[in-house]
Amino acid sequence: MYKKIPDEILLQVEKPARYVGREVNMVKKDLSEIDIRFAFCFPDVYEVGMSHLGLEILYFFLNRRNDTYCERVFAPWVDMEEKMRENNIPLFALETGDSIKKFDFVGFTLQYEMSYTNVLNMLDLAGISLFRKDRKEDDPIIICGGSCAYNPEPLADFVDVFYLGEGEVLYDDMLELYKKFKKEGRTKQEYLEALLDFDGLYMPQFYDAEYNEDGTIKSFTPNHPKARKVIKKVIVNDMDKVFFPEKQLVPFIEVVHDRVTLELFRGCIRGCRFCQAGFVYRPVREKRACTLLENTKKLMESTGHEEISLTSLSTSDFTGFEELACGLIDEYKEKQVNISLPSLRIDNFSLDLMQKVQEVRKSSLTFAAEAGTQRLRDVINKNLTEENILNGCKLAFDGGWEKVKLYFMLGLPTETEEDLKGIAHLSEKIVEKYFEIPKEKRPRPVAVNASASCFVPKPFTPFQWDAQDTYETFGEKALIVKNEIKRKQVRFTYHNTMMSSMEGVLARGDRKLSAMLYRAWELGCRFDGWTDLFDFNKWKQAFDDTGLSIAFYANRERSYDEILPWDHISVGVNKSFLINEREKALRSETTPNCRQKCSGCGAASFGGGICHEVQI
Amino acid sequence: MKYRFKMEKGEEIKFIGHLDLLVAFQRVLKRADIPIDYSKGFNPHQLVSFASPLGLGLTSKAEYGDFQLKEDLDAEEVRERMNKNMPDGLYISKLVKLKEGVKNTMTSLERADYEIYFPDYITPDDIKENLDAFLNQKEIVVMKKTKKSTKEADIREDIFSAEDISHDGKAVMKIYVSSGSTRNLKCDTFAEAFCKFINKPFEKYKFNYCRTQMYMKNENGDYVSLISGVEL
Repeated sequence: MYKKIPDEILLQVEKPARYVGREVNMVKKDLSEIDIRFAFCFPDVYEVGMSHLGLEILYFFLNRRNDTYCERVFAPWVDMEEKMRENNIPLFALETGDSIKKFDFVGFTLQYEMSYTNVLNMLDLAGISLFRKDRKEDDPIIICGGSCAYNPEPLADFVDVFYLGEGEVLYDDMLELYKKFKKEGRTKQEYLEALLDFDGLYMPQFYDAEYNEDGTIKSFTPNHPKARKVIKKVIVNDMDKVFFPEKQLVPFIEVVHDRVTLELFRGCIRGCRFCQAGFVYRPVREKRACTLLENTKKLMESTGHEEISLTSLSTSDFTGFEELACGLIDEYKEKQVNISLPSLRIDNFSLDLMQKVQEVRKSSLTFAAEAGTQRLRDVINKNLTEENILNGCKLAFDGGWEKVKLYFMLGLPTETEEDLKGIAHLSEKIVEKYFEIPKEKRPRPVAVNASASCFVPKPFTPFQWDAQDTYETFGEKALIVKNEIKRKQVRFTYHNTMMSSMEGVLARGDRKLSAMLYRAWELGCRFDGWTDLFDFNKWKQAFDDTGLSIAFYANRERSYDEILPWDHISVGVNKSFLINEREKALRSETTPNCRQKCSGCGAASFGGGICHEVQI
Repeated sequence: MKYRFKMEKGEEIKFIGHLDLLVAFQRVLKRADIPIDYSKGFNPHQLVSFASPLGLGLTSKAEYGDFQLKEDLDAEEVRERMNKNMPDGLYISKLVKLKEGVKNTMTSLERADYEIYFPDYITPDDIKENLDAFLNQKEIVVMKKTKKSTKEADIREDIFSAEDISHDGKAVMKIYVSSGSTRNLKCDTFAEAFCKFINKPFEKYKFNYCRTQMYMKNENGDYVSLISGVEL
């Protein structure tokens, strides 16, 4: 039976609907028929986690098994955490209200580094020992996946298994094996050793790290005969045939993205050199437009949503884009359904399409220019010219838009003052473009919102060896941009510099950081991705207390022969390719996208996707 | 065609607030593929309205509202299709086509009934011994909160009556109070006033409430439920 949190508590917290579940399409099961209980934990608040497509897919994927009950767990917001600790309420799963301490698996999805302290806090709230070495036989198996799992080392001391790759591939086999081992009364340790037979699974306990005096890694070696030297991610080769849920959960409260989400493809053809997703999700594997239209129909019927969103890394690169977009518009235009098109590139921006969509409801325009000058855009392989951007804006202004959002990054490798000022200049040129159209055709004032994030070098990108700017430098650079903006129509904002610095540390961290993370959590760090709750002083103290240095992880350039903490993991892209890409970056040379020409990154080894399509 | 519904809101969904409930209701209509009508204008919205928002944490046996369809469908069929697509805890117990010229539920509403479930520190005897005296007061002054300030208000006139319906050792009261846009008494304001009268603290998070009926006045001046006498 569903064990409720007392009303008295729910009435005293913000948005109690975060904690009660019961949403439309929630899966209900009879526990007496269940062999495996799986807690799918999203280490952030409900509204964020419920907007994550990966959760929807895995939730329905695991629950399609009759022997498994996958339930959702979110990080309780600080007010609820306080009540839970006060009243000794352990962390619970939304479906049953049961404590997750006795579940078979507790899985976390790692979507961003700043959620790591929430992982620790959730384990603690569940009454589960944080460190693997302190956990017992009857504790759940802690498993982590998601894009940050590709550099698992900062969480190495806490986690039993890191799942590298796409969930649809291994879970069935893993769960079958688990069931068998459980029935035979074998131990958790025996199970973890058996998992060594799978590629795509990394169990940190079977590897030892040794360090040089300067703190860099001296050696990283398996300590178990079955442990692989390199663990390679696993992926679905045929996206058109893979399981896709016909339902999505329909939250009762407004979440970040309240809509039906369609995944057009995985991977990205572009190869922007700063973008981790562009490398770790290779190769591009598409679904067919007709499959997607069928998926949409079922999802709309089962949810009652009024918005459809097309998500993928670069939506307009989808080969069936026109067929899909036109199909959606034909089907849903009369039904008051809004179609949202994020990640449209302006170089193949379709005014016609945007206008069709706009007829239903007005959406905003966002362009990811990333850098202020052509030279720097070439360095990062953002194959987008100023002309593309300005022409795109001109078309948009003619079509009746007057609000433009621009995304930039501060601190990209080789950046100069000219590049920074270029952010201001490009933004102003867009304003000028608006004034080129006749006065009677521009009833509203133009607004250009330029926002800059701080560049964080990420593993498995060509910039994985680069030094990140310090937060002080980021601040100075932001001021250069700000002071260069003269037009009042341009608004400039930038990301929290100290948070970016911590993200930089965790993104490329090694296992020594586990101790630091533990200390940061002890000092009260959680929800560190939330500007109001992020406390840099606590992080600094955590570093001081554990004798580690921020600069060593964030602001140090690595040499090509240094052993990187993620070298024992392969995403299919060769290191030699990344080195070559970095060298090309330094010469401002661009690389063609996967559809133009194969650059031989190594992802062809998976045997599927764009690498094996016939080139036209 | 316009329709009026009577809906139950149960324990499972009582923490979903009024605006979120409206959205959930609209999604029910979409899932049930019922041809709901939209308002004209730049941002079209579904033509659905509720009589009165129900506070967070309250259950109800009788929520009322109206909606308009593009077609003239059989009311029982619409009701069945909606109930099949309802989230746990919501149930349409009655649905009728509306006569011409009926005012919407929001403007018609004048009175409501609630049940108040008292926490354990208030006993059935507390109610039995004090309810008559409470109701016999000439005036009942409470502090009413408005957006700007808190001021004194006499709520005696808003109370039609109240009954002791305690059972199984639990203190329960049924109250009949004014509700709507002209005069309105919230059930927790009543509960607080009663606690004050019997010199007991008002620990507001320990109280439970259920709205059991909503009324309008018919042409004879009698109070009738929002769904009586309106059917086409």
